Amino acid sequence: MIPTLHTERLTLRAHVMEDFAPYTAFLATGRTLYMGGPHDDRTAWSWFCSDIAQWHLLGFGSLALTLKNGTFIGQVNVIQPPIFPEPELGWCVFAPYEGLGYITEAATAVRDWAFGPRGLTTMVSYIDPANTRSINVAERLGATLDPYAATPNNDPTGVWRYARAA
Amino acid sequence: MITPTLHTDRLTLRPYRLDDFDAYAVLMTSDRAKYMQAGLDREGAWNWFTADVAHWPLFGFGSLMIDVDAVGETIGAVGLNKGINFPETELGWQLYDGYEGHGYATEAAVALRDWGFATLPLETLVSYIDPANAASIRLAERLGGKRDTSAIPPYPCDLIYRHRRAA
Repeated sequence: MIPTLHTERLTLRAHVMEDFAPYTAFLATGRTLYMGGPHDDRTAWSWFCSDIAQWHLLGFGSLALTLKNGTFIGQVNVIQPPIFPEPELGWCVFAPYEGLGYITEAATAVRDWAFGPRGLTTMVSYIDPANTRSINVAERLGATLDPYAATPNNDPTGVWRYARAA
Repeated sequence: MITPTLHTDRLTLRPYRLDDFDAYAVLMTSDRAKYMQAGLDREGAWNWFTADVAHWPLFGFGSLMIDVDAVGETIGAVGLNKGINFPETELGWQLYDGYEGHGYATEAAVALRDWGFATLPLETLVSYIDPANAASIRLAERLGGKRDTSAIPPYPCDLIYRHRRAA
């Protein structure tokens, strides 16, 4: 039910409990500034569980990014907790692995899975307008800013919208 | 881990579904959750709901919704909980307003306890209970749980009732 996706350099797999400690360490760093962070382990647990549970509740959720040697380096997810107007494509990568194109590679695979086998008809990324690195990823994936889209809790976040391939 | 479905005389214990969330959130944001260290809003209830679900893939155990077969109504949940703050695996239960007094929680807790001992490499389970929660204390005692004053609770004031695998 939870897919395993393979790209040239990565394997995207279901989370296991061993992922929680490195995920928590990541959320505690300043790298989560645009995710409202840094966050403590209780928030980490809530997000970790919410993103996993959505596989069972909605049929989509988070996948762990791993190098071919098994190293866990980040996460890409399609999630829609109750406050999200639409399914969101999101991502994070741990500090030593940024700038290497891993996020673009992984998020492309997840986008294609979501619009393809999963059959979603709409997907966006909610991105802080100051988060230029994530905006660059979204635009590399073909997303465009949708100034009219609803946002979670009516927050003033940017909504980058993905188009299904024709 | 495939989440199991368990059957008792009167009940079906089954995996959570998205459409269970509204009733779960009503319970968790109500006064009925006052013994659960909760004080949750709807977003907090979502965190608990999804943690209950995510236990199954992460730990191989978790929570199940309780349906009453005769009327097809969902009346609450029973769960095996660990999370990141519980020293041991906990057997817990919660019923929605209006369904107490029929023995449903006991029937559900017996079924999940027995499933746990039959399936998991555990010799004991515990129930962490607020000292003022007389109904849950009685239920733990009906299950055969025994007070354990030596174990460490997640919250300092909690009572611990220990359930042992049948000999």
